[in-house]
Amino acid sequence: MADLPAAQDRSSELQQQVQAAFAVQHPLAIQGSGSRAGFGLSPSRQYLQQQPLAVAAHRGVIDYQPDELVIRARAGTRLVELEHLLASHGQRFAADIPVPSAESTLGGAVASGWDGPGRSLGVSLRDTVLGCRLINGRGDIVHFGGQVMKNVAGYDLSRLQVGALGTLGVILDVALRLAPLPETQVSRCFAVQPDEVDSWWRRSKELRPLLSASCYHRGRLQLRLSGRTAALEDLLPALGGEASDFDWQALRNLRGDFFNGRQLACLYVPPRSRVDIEQGEVLLDWEGARLWVKDGDHQQLQHTAKAANGFLRVLRGDGAAPLLPAEHWHRRLRGALDPAGILNPAIFREQFTAAGGR
Amino acid sequence: MSAEALLKELRTQLPAQRLLTQREQIAPFECDALSVYCARPQAVVLAQCEADVIAVARACHRHRVPLVTRGAGTGLSAGAKPIECGVLLVTAAMNRILELDSEAMTARVEPGAVNLQVSRAAAPMGLYYAPDPSSQIACSIGGNVAENAGGVHCLKYGVTVQNVAALRVVTSEGELLTIGGQCLAQPGYDLLALMHGSEGCLGIITEVTVKLTPLPATTRTLMADFACVRAASDAVSAIVRAGVIPAALEMMDALAISATEAFCHAGYGLDAAAILIIDLDGHPREVEAELELVKGVLGRSGATRVQLAADDAQRALWWKGRKSAFPAIGRLSPDYYCIDGTVPRHRIGDVLEAIQSFAQNYELRVANVFHAGDGNLHPIIMFDGGEDGALERVEKLAADILEYCIAVGGTITGEHGVGLEKINQMAVQFSDAEISQFIAIKQALDPLNLLNPDKQIPELARCQEYRALRGSHG
Repeated sequence: MADLPAAQDRSSELQQQVQAAFAVQHPLAIQGSGSRAGFGLSPSRQYLQQQPLAVAAHRGVIDYQPDELVIRARAGTRLVELEHLLASHGQRFAADIPVPSAESTLGGAVASGWDGPGRSLGVSLRDTVLGCRLINGRGDIVHFGGQVMKNVAGYDLSRLQVGALGTLGVILDVALRLAPLPETQVSRCFAVQPDEVDSWWRRSKELRPLLSASCYHRGRLQLRLSGRTAALEDLLPALGGEASDFDWQALRNLRGDFFNGRQLACLYVPPRSRVDIEQGEVLLDWEGARLWVKDGDHQQLQHTAKAANGFLRVLRGDGAAPLLPAEHWHRRLRGALDPAGILNPAIFREQFTAAGGR
Repeated sequence: MSAEALLKELRTQLPAQRLLTQREQIAPFECDALSVYCARPQAVVLAQCEADVIAVARACHRHRVPLVTRGAGTGLSAGAKPIECGVLLVTAAMNRILELDSEAMTARVEPGAVNLQVSRAAAPMGLYYAPDPSSQIACSIGGNVAENAGGVHCLKYGVTVQNVAALRVVTSEGELLTIGGQCLAQPGYDLLALMHGSEGCLGIITEVTVKLTPLPATTRTLMADFACVRAASDAVSAIVRAGVIPAALEMMDALAISATEAFCHAGYGLDAAAILIIDLDGHPREVEAELELVKGVLGRSGATRVQLAADDAQRALWWKGRKSAFPAIGRLSPDYYCIDGTVPRHRIGDVLEAIQSFAQNYELRVANVFHAGDGNLHPIIMFDGGEDGALERVEKLAADILEYCIAVGGTITGEHGVGLEKINQMAVQFSDAEISQFIAIKQALDPLNLLNPDKQIPELARCQEYRALRGSHG
């Protein structure tokens, strides 16, 4: 098994740092490459006394056997390195994982739990996590799940890490499910009026399972289709539209002008909801189930999301207190995994308590 | 803790026909489908609605009485075995399908809704519920969530946790929570994932919103015969390596083939050492292309015969054989015991060989019929419970097999759960720090340890004893 360059196992020194912090109850701020810090994940000023815990140097592939469609790698491993390795074996991550920069790490991807535009037609990142090893808030190294496809031994504490932003443990390594690269991938573009978009989303059901991503922005509907060449040749003539060189990677990785606004948030709503947003600039993906809003009023968007049985995630700008189901379970689980509350306490308060927001 | 006072309270809230306390009324509920473990609880409550569940949970909490929840009772790890000093809450009668949403492609159901009934109800909309455990004609969705059940079509479509959008859950304190929702992401921690496979230890499920999948445009089924088990095992990895994810990829060994063929004449090759049954589904042209790829791989992997099901009738017959393998093996042996471990796909051949050699040590026979694509083994140990010491030999063989699964990088349970059955092997798979972490989670969400308290997570002292007994060090 060839390792990527600069593979390093820093588990024991990271463990020592957490143990030391636990002994004196000193808060830690887990740091990867920092590529997501500009998206609402840098702690606010009053928490600057948090001591940094740098995990980006804990990197390298631990196990990759293409036959198994599984890769296990350390948290600091760069996502782009992993993508190259997988592509050289005709494989990819089974989920559509955003890679905000060339330095973005696997651990950061799992901790933030974001999904790219392919999510609505495929699986989410949490669906593909098979196991993880982590340092809990007491400084114990614990391993949950594994590298096999089905595993129900004990509580699922590895999926619980996805989106927990490091507040339930310092992720050391993760095993993820993979998928074969599609034989062919093409994009088609359509000029669509805003009031016609809903009927397109309804139609898109018929394009499954070949439709692999969708996006609507500034009157243009982009569809990505992936699969066996023969099947796409069969489908495309009837679909119409223009050939498109839409940059799905830029959308997935949150790159480009749209994502650079002063205010950035996204609304998650149930599929086929009708949501009208009269402010800011709006971009839809996930067949309309996710609405990105640049330069909107986040308080107002929070109301809109709530009214549609959805929720708002703020990536930049004015915060809104998170709408959490079962808030006390968050507190209790945090207590079970990090009894002294030393792991990313600022993020815990902002993202996982009703008193959060900024 | 007072069961007497609890019963007195419950009698004021539930009619007598739904609060069973007589020995003969309780008898059918003393075990689940793993009947070697049984116990008689103080009372059985047949819940009809969420309010019943809340009332029972609150009363048990007030009186400090343990509470075990049972769905259809088809579980294979004694996860629904009652506790003698406790109450058994049965949700099987809460079996309504509350809402089908063809636009959002979801179904909202009560926990007792039967797995196959959900797919049948969704079929007119061109949809179905993908996870299909072998017990799907009887098992309940609530039980599927509690065990994170799998099935034959999980390789492509995922297990229960990937196919559920939302839950309503009653906590050990009797509080109602809504977890997840219709959105394709959730705010906060992934409590939905945590509830899956928590075996009734963290909460009681009162409603499930499942995701539905469009019925595939085409499904074709291949059957390949092999002259040796190793070649069939290696073909499994080779198919995946070729970039094909079959909808199902199942394997049966010679003993399972002969038992099943005698039982339902599915047309299996009786001279084969192993067969693979492979479903490919999707767009017709995709299926065509993948059929050719898979046939090529099977040929290169040493298949002695490859057949394509001519029509739906033949497909159904092949699958009927596979799905009736357990009762078929039951006819050959007075008793059988099915275990459930998962291993990396490329180790299937090694594990199958090891199983045969372990079985010889205990003079037992083992048939294998399992989800090869997932690496999820189901060795079926055949024995005669009337024979002195037979069950002890079976348990020792099962422990050897499960511990071998761990040794090759696998797990002691892929889809049946830990329950009571595999609670000792938890000590082998997990360290004390990991077991302590599970205990801390349980204490956080069920501080009085009332929900299914004797299942899934062993006490630390028990782990240490078991490791000492097996001569291993955790």
